[in-house]
Amino acid sequence: MLLTAVIFLPLLGALIAAFLPAGEPGQHRGWAFFVTLATFGVSLALWAGFDSRPGAAEFQFALKVPWIASAGIGYHVGLDGVALLLVMLTTALTPIVILAAWSVTERVKEFLIAVLVLETAMIGTFAALDLVLFYVFWEAVLIPMYLLIGVWGSQNRLYATVKFFIYTFVASVLMLIAIIYAALHAGGSFDYLVVRDALRVGADAQKWLFLAFAVAFAVKVPMFPVHTWLPDAHTEAPTAGSVILAGVLLKMGTFGFFRYAMPLFPDAALQFRPAIAVLAVVGIIYGALMCLVQGDMKRLVAYSSVSHLGFVMLGLMALTAEGLTGGVYQMLNHGVSTGALFLLVGMLYERRHTRLISEYGGIAKQVPWIATAFVVVTLSSVGLPGTNGFVGEFLILAGTWLGRMPGTQLLAVLGATGVILGAVYMLWLVERVFFGTITSDENRHLPDLSLREAFVIAPMIVLIVVMGLAPQPFLAPARPAVDRLVTRMQEADRRLRTRDPGRPPSVGGQQPALALEPTTAPGALAAMPPAGGSH
Amino acid sequence: MAHSDAIQVAQPLLWALILLPAAGALVNGFFGRRLGKGNVALIAVGVMVAAFAVAVFAFFQLFHGEHGTVLRAPGDVWFRVGNTSVSFGLLFDRLSGTLSLVVTGVGALIHVYSTSYMSHEDDFGYARFLTYLNLFVAAMMTLVLGDNLALTFMGWEGVGLASYLLIGFWYTDKQKAFCGRKAFITNRVGDFGFLIGFFAVLSLFGTGDYAQLTQMAGKLQGGQLIATGPFAGWTVTAALTLATLGFFVGCTGKSAQLPLYVWLPDAMAGPTPVSALIHAATMVTAGVYLVARTSFLFALAPASMAVVTTVGAATALFSALIAFAQYDIKKVLAYSTVSQLGFMFIGVGSGAYFAGVLHLVTHAFFKACLFLGAGSVMHGMHEDTDIRNMGGLRKKMPWTHLTFLVSTIAITGFVVPLSGFFSKDAILANALFAHNAMSDAYPWVGPLAYVLGSLAAAGTAFYMMRLYALTFAGEPRTEAARHAHESSPVMWVPLAVLAFLAVVAAVLGLPGNWALGELFGRFTHPVFAQAIATAHVEEHAATAWPFIVAWLVALVAGGLGYAMFAGNLKSIPARFVEVFPALTRFAQDKFRVDELYQWLIIRPLQVISRFLWKVGDALLIDGLLVNGTARAAMAFARLFRTLQNGDVQRYAALMAVAVGVILWTVLGRGGN
Repeated sequence: MLLTAVIFLPLLGALIAAFLPAGEPGQHRGWAFFVTLATFGVSLALWAGFDSRPGAAEFQFALKVPWIASAGIGYHVGLDGVALLLVMLTTALTPIVILAAWSVTERVKEFLIAVLVLETAMIGTFAALDLVLFYVFWEAVLIPMYLLIGVWGSQNRLYATVKFFIYTFVASVLMLIAIIYAALHAGGSFDYLVVRDALRVGADAQKWLFLAFAVAFAVKVPMFPVHTWLPDAHTEAPTAGSVILAGVLLKMGTFGFFRYAMPLFPDAALQFRPAIAVLAVVGIIYGALMCLVQGDMKRLVAYSSVSHLGFVMLGLMALTAEGLTGGVYQMLNHGVSTGALFLLVGMLYERRHTRLISEYGGIAKQVPWIATAFVVVTLSSVGLPGTNGFVGEFLILAGTWLGRMPGTQLLAVLGATGVILGAVYMLWLVERVFFGTITSDENRHLPDLSLREAFVIAPMIVLIVVMGLAPQPFLAPARPAVDRLVTRMQEADRRLRTRDPGRPPSVGGQQPALALEPTTAPGALAAMPPAGGSH
Repeated sequence: MAHSDAIQVAQPLLWALILLPAAGALVNGFFGRRLGKGNVALIAVGVMVAAFAVAVFAFFQLFHGEHGTVLRAPGDVWFRVGNTSVSFGLLFDRLSGTLSLVVTGVGALIHVYSTSYMSHEDDFGYARFLTYLNLFVAAMMTLVLGDNLALTFMGWEGVGLASYLLIGFWYTDKQKAFCGRKAFITNRVGDFGFLIGFFAVLSLFGTGDYAQLTQMAGKLQGGQLIATGPFAGWTVTAALTLATLGFFVGCTGKSAQLPLYVWLPDAMAGPTPVSALIHAATMVTAGVYLVARTSFLFALAPASMAVVTTVGAATALFSALIAFAQYDIKKVLAYSTVSQLGFMFIGVGSGAYFAGVLHLVTHAFFKACLFLGAGSVMHGMHEDTDIRNMGGLRKKMPWTHLTFLVSTIAITGFVVPLSGFFSKDAILANALFAHNAMSDAYPWVGPLAYVLGSLAAAGTAFYMMRLYALTFAGEPRTEAARHAHESSPVMWVPLAVLAFLAVVAAVLGLPGNWALGELFGRFTHPVFAQAIATAHVEEHAATAWPFIVAWLVALVAGGLGYAMFAGNLKSIPARFVEVFPALTRFAQDKFRVDELYQWLIIRPLQVISRFLWKVGDALLIDGLLVNGTARAAMAFARLFRTLQNGDVQRYAALMAVAVGVILWTVLGRGGN
């Protein structure tokens, strides 16, 4: 029930908000802020109550109620550690977004209702354990997002929103067909757990099913080459839309791979893995290169998302504990740091009403606190140790290096070039916006961070540092889910190898080649060989 | 560290070495603007003095413990996933202890100097500067004290951040901001190598902990074949060659060696105390420290030792040549630093570990002194840095002059051998005579390094005497130089202390087999024992002639430098420029390496990116695939055109209907 409460609290809030008078935007803002904050508060109970010990149940806070029993559809929700983390990300981010959207003055009521509905849909997507329920939430996300961009977006919003909608909708329809097909071949049930265990299809059918899911998710991630909706959507979306889009929506894609595409169709996933991993690396580098030639701040940050999500996908495809955990962690990191970037870009936009980098320059003197925050977030984005970004990137790249897929070390090395390129485009952005002399008179009297804005950005900065220095509480919940996926993929790997005896094992990490047996304490051991030479 | 049988003493106080400066940075960072300059300075200098006191205390504890005692401060897990576990743990042994003293000691002096040097900044700028400086020390101490590769890397990138912030401290100047970014990005290229090396070590040993690595490496033979993992089928030597070369790529970035040295001369855009502390005395030596710290791995990879030695020697000479032609006082010192770092790498690369580290220590003293002296000169000259406009400052700035002269002698060994002479000579003699795994496999490397290094030493003596002569000797050449004035005692007292240290540090490196002979070598022996054993480093008999040769070289080159710029041979430099104008310009333009990189890497990257954007994203994906599909669908969509009238409620209704249709489809099909 607790989980259900978290899912539907925002929707309930939206329903109540529908009855509040539209003419009093202050009331709506306060109400929406209160509702999302309360949702976050209740979700903390999920966080506290989650048992991440190895023996604990896979899905916790589960609730299963028949919905349309004749069709095998149920209202089945529950959380594993990864979903828990993403739900927390969603509930934490939404109040911040609402606080940041205080400056929206047009159709405030509708705007906030859209955000609240969106929150329910997003949490539902992560919590669903029934394929139809998942699909409903998945598609339900599109509607408020479509409206957020289409109604509150900037000049070119119509092209962007239609592109966004068509892109993701077309891809999702493929998934819907696959869901139906899979359920029919799993005894007619849409329950995730049932389908996962009972799915019986041939190797070819599994390939097609995997592809249908993978395309839907790849568009959402977005992976190269189906990423081109993202720069447009981000650029045209209002700040709140961008933050939610980058912070949570993109993770629905990577989460989809983790929860659905890989565990449901492990054999096919293994066969497509090298291709996906290569596309992930291409995405890392391609996205970063795109950032080098953007003149629009939001477009630049959008392309940086393509690069960062490439890291996530690379980690997932490594199929080692380090890679998968790093991938999950990087989802959170990207939510925090790219979310924060969009918030900061939004603040600048509100002051100057332009996203063009060339319109800025030298404003650090005018807005020192915004500049400081921007630099801190940039450091997180480029993965400086001590910030959250490092832990994620390090685990992903180390996990890829330690993996067993042929050529995986090369992918790790190529992916690591993204670490260089990330610094190149982000620091260049910082320099062009904040450093140098002021070139435009309009920038001479920009106000610095307001109190409200300080409350918007401070939690993000705190998260960046805490998740950088003490990541363990965020890594621990992911562990059981990661271990289960590795085991599951190892079984599939074994199946493939019995069919094809020449195939080397390709899942899981490798034991260090030269390590000694585990020892009690370093230094308590045998003496070293006698020193030669002097003395 | 290289002594797995060491006695370990828990000393949680070590954390103070990192947390004190970090706390200073936090307080001054958040409240500095309101505290006022006096309080800010008090906090910033106070934490540094306290950190130095802690370092001294810990050092004495180390010194009085039995031979090979190390102090450790265990810490919690940072992150642990799968087989990979990283902890916060500190290690204070004779290597990191020595560096701790240098960093906190020289650091404290430079903080004191800065309180006066930066006094013309406004309150905000003043607090910001000292915040960054404290932040730097915290990161540097993390780098030095970390007991595993991950923590070292954290400090490694942390100092890079501090360097970025401080080089671009005057960020309203676009050029300076650019220099800061250039430093960070060049270092990132190096850090990429560090990461690859780290991953290689992880896949070999499963840990980055120095003590455990030492232990495991001690049991290995270079020829051993590796059975599993990414390096299956490789020999231990081959795998470790790759790993250590990765680390060394990191070193070429952080410690400004060929080919990544290009950022350091530009780093002089930062305020002079920064150049002294970060870009001369401490941060840039991090690469030398890393090679020394992982010497037990390098010792198993003779090819890497050869690369380190060769690159060090080549850099030493290359940058000395550039220094000949520079007219900016800080630029000369910057290229000199690059060159001296090359010497250190010859040392730690060719198995003379103690000598490399000793040169690091002595260089910290005299180069910090030289930079601070340059800062004092700039103060006196109203921020003019062109040595052609100086001259005769000897009488105007007596303290600055004296300390600068002492340090010049220390770096060159001209006239009286001071500290730098002995450490440099120990490095070169070792390179020539040493017998070890590297000289067995690559016998030409040692002699080559000796020749290049000796030429670079001659160059050092020449350009340093040129610098000294043009700045201090002769008569003032401009009004500004005529009216130059000595700086405040807050600035020259640190200079005097550093100059004093540059003199007495000579004691550490005296050659020979007597009570004071090779003090530092004996002191650091436990740290390098395993590397020395692994690489079969053999002591060579101390012979006198290399010392005499080195001294003569310094004397002749230094004398020539002085004579040509302040003495009887003054006409020669002008003649040289006349006869070889192109060569001179080429050297003045720093051999145009920056332009080379611009055309070889940066431009192509920009062109490719633009091409991919316009052709890949815009034309192929969007133009052909997306919009093409959309256009095809358009005809169909025209039918529904009437629905698209921009009415939000209509859209919402439409969406609701769509969801209904989807559900209906699902139910209908699924139910059958």
